[in-house]
Amino acid sequence: MEDNGTDPDNEIGDENDGTRRRFLKRATGVVTLLCGVIVGIPLLGSFIGPAFRSAKTSWIKVGDIGALPVGSPVSLKVADMQVDAYVRESVIRHLWAVRHDSGVTVFSPTCTHLGCQYTWNAASRHFECPCHGSFYALDGTVLGGPAPRPLDTLQTRLEKNELYVEWKRFRSGAPEKHPV
Amino acid sequence: MFSRFSGRISAWINERWPLSASVRLALDEEMAGGSSYAYVFGSSALIVFLLQAATGIWQLFYYVPVLGQGYNSLNYLRTEVPFGWLIHGLHFWGASAMVVLVILHMSQVFIWGAYKRPHELQWVSGIFLFLLTMAMSLTGGALPWDKRSYWLVEVASSAAGTVPVVGDFIKRIMLGGGVIGQLTLSRFFILHAAILSGALLVLAVIHLVALRKVGNAGPWDERKRAEKGPFWPDQVFKDGLVAALVTLLLVALSAYFPPPFAGMADPLDASYIPKPEWNFLFFYQALKFFPGHLEVIATVGIPVIGTLLLFLIPFADRGAERDPRRRPAAMAGWFVAAGIFIGLTLAGAVSKPEGIEPAAGPAGAPPAPAAGEKAGSDLFRSQGCIACHRIGGIGGEIGPDLSREGLAGRSRQWLETQLRDPKSHNPASIMPPLAGLSRGEIDQLIDYLLSLKERPDTGSPAGSGEAGPAADAPAGPRGGPGAAASIIGSGDHGAILFAATCASCHGAEGTGKVPNPGSRDGTVPSLNPVHPDEFSPDPQAFAEKLDRYIQHGSRPEGPRPSIGMPAFGDSHALTQQQIADLEAYILRLNNVDRAAIAHPGIAPKVFFPAAAAVFLLAGVPLWAWWRFGGRRRREGKETVS
Repeated sequence: MEDNGTDPDNEIGDENDGTRRRFLKRATGVVTLLCGVIVGIPLLGSFIGPAFRSAKTSWIKVGDIGALPVGSPVSLKVADMQVDAYVRESVIRHLWAVRHDSGVTVFSPTCTHLGCQYTWNAASRHFECPCHGSFYALDGTVLGGPAPRPLDTLQTRLEKNELYVEWKRFRSGAPEKHPV
Repeated sequence: MFSRFSGRISAWINERWPLSASVRLALDEEMAGGSSYAYVFGSSALIVFLLQAATGIWQLFYYVPVLGQGYNSLNYLRTEVPFGWLIHGLHFWGASAMVVLVILHMSQVFIWGAYKRPHELQWVSGIFLFLLTMAMSLTGGALPWDKRSYWLVEVASSAAGTVPVVGDFIKRIMLGGGVIGQLTLSRFFILHAAILSGALLVLAVIHLVALRKVGNAGPWDERKRAEKGPFWPDQVFKDGLVAALVTLLLVALSAYFPPPFAGMADPLDASYIPKPEWNFLFFYQALKFFPGHLEVIATVGIPVIGTLLLFLIPFADRGAERDPRRRPAAMAGWFVAAGIFIGLTLAGAVSKPEGIEPAAGPAGAPPAPAAGEKAGSDLFRSQGCIACHRIGGIGGEIGPDLSREGLAGRSRQWLETQLRDPKSHNPASIMPPLAGLSRGEIDQLIDYLLSLKERPDTGSPAGSGEAGPAADAPAGPRGGPGAAASIIGSGDHGAILFAATCASCHGAEGTGKVPNPGSRDGTVPSLNPVHPDEFSPDPQAFAEKLDRYIQHGSRPEGPRPSIGMPAFGDSHALTQQQIADLEAYILRLNNVDRAAIAHPGIAPKVFFPAAAAVFLLAGVPLWAWWRFGGRRRREGKETVS
């Protein structure tokens, strides 16, 4: 054979190599690279894939709309079946609902600033967030504090006086309302 | 140019870390007899092991070894994660590939006599590697926690329990307690993912270092052994090429033969017939020769004696001769062992378990009748008799309960008259005459009726078709989807359950128009095809629609339906796993795959052809480079490989 120990650093190949030896080295490299790609693409895809998927939404049955008082927000606790990847568990969702003559507005329970749970101050008739002081009017508009946009409303549906709400989460801190 | 750049980088590293020295140590070797395709099996096994490690670890981003979640987490990976189907498929088929490659490697080493001095330590470490490979196959099979996993653990722990004196102790250690439970899964998991695989890695290093120390055995012919050839690149190229082909094969298998969905583990389901993975079929078949008290001879004897024999080979056979043609005893031994292994494996593959009739399914369903009575039983349902007559708690209550008709002392002639012309026995009877039946069909029905000698169930047992529900109850299913709707079940097992539990009302394969007097439609709804309102092309949504009925039961629309849908879930007549299997089967009848891959990344049947095409196309520039590139030296130093 042409080279055997006189030139140790012969991994990639040099002019001492015969054509055959260089071919075998190149071919081995190519084959290894292709195998790496064929296995690597799935590994990468499976790692990144689910991270960019939008969260699932679900329609929750709230109950008889007649039980809600008009003009005053009510804090609702409703049971929902949460699907988190492969884990299904029943959870309690908190919602704020305000009934008007023309229908019902349901607000997402998280402040649009950084996602804290806000409360209703009956004396001042404002929604108030305890974390950084944002406060909102009954219709959700921002009256003060660092909140970048009004309270997020959730889609509702009425079926024979039964209220259904579409549960969704929205990105906090942004001036536009984007679902997560 | 690339060489110069990488040369500078490697110079920097080599000053601080023995990179080149390590590479040289790994690659610089003169092989006795030169490189050969005969030697590829060992390195292919190593490369597949590395692939298993990568895909195994990667699956841990999604799989959790928890009883309620393990099965669903794995199916999430397989259907919802892009390329999850491929990662799991590679791991599943890679496991079989490893066993095959290891056995081929052992066989090649044996035939070449390459276990003889000074290679004994390689052989011994190799046998340990073989045992570890089989143990990895066993522990890995337990992890999906599907029906195959459950019975694998059941059989393995029971076999371990037959060891004299310490058997019960070993079994308890294996199970993490007295029964199969969460601790069992955790033990199998950590053994598979860390302990056994770690041991495999250590032994592989020992095995390779031993190989390097003594050099490869090479050809058995002295003259051929004298000719040397370099390990790199000659042998590495052959190893790499075969490994690449094996990888492509595994991708193809993953794409076209995905691992089966065996349905979630269900200890309560007695109708599942377990069988081991192919590499343990020889053991499964061998056990059948040692029934009863002799069992321990097989469960302990075969592994212990087999392993001892393997270990002793280099010490029993100390002759220097390596030519297989001049080692008749050794080669005879190999042929016998191979023949026994292959023979037992094939026999195990085709065999059915002896003396076990699949149980009819949930407790309360009547046992399957024999031969001609079976045809009569089918007629009883397809002709609609079941709509008015109850047997074993299933059927309508308009006519008399026939569960004990075989004890009523009726003659065949009387029964035939009753079937053909009921009014001749009772003018007030509303039973329709079965005029259109042939002689043979009448006889089959009579055979069946005369075989009915069961005590009628007193309280309504779980699993019975309910008699007419109250007229004022609302129509439709009585609740929302349950847990079963989220479990991807086994359509094959669902077919067995359907025949035992559902076909009596919905007809064989769901097509039957079994009469339901008093209902608006007049018949029990067809499931094949299902009503368009209940159909959905999305497997999850479709399963949820069906699940409402199976979990909570339903009253058909109509003034007074004779038969209602029982609440199989609420009454626990069927387990959630069984309901999931049934849903998978009903979906299949409607041409929807319950296990459809929602997010494949790249679809399987696109990925493999693309991968194969990439390899073939890479061959083109390589061929061109070989043919036209490089400076040719014509001084005879070139040899075609």
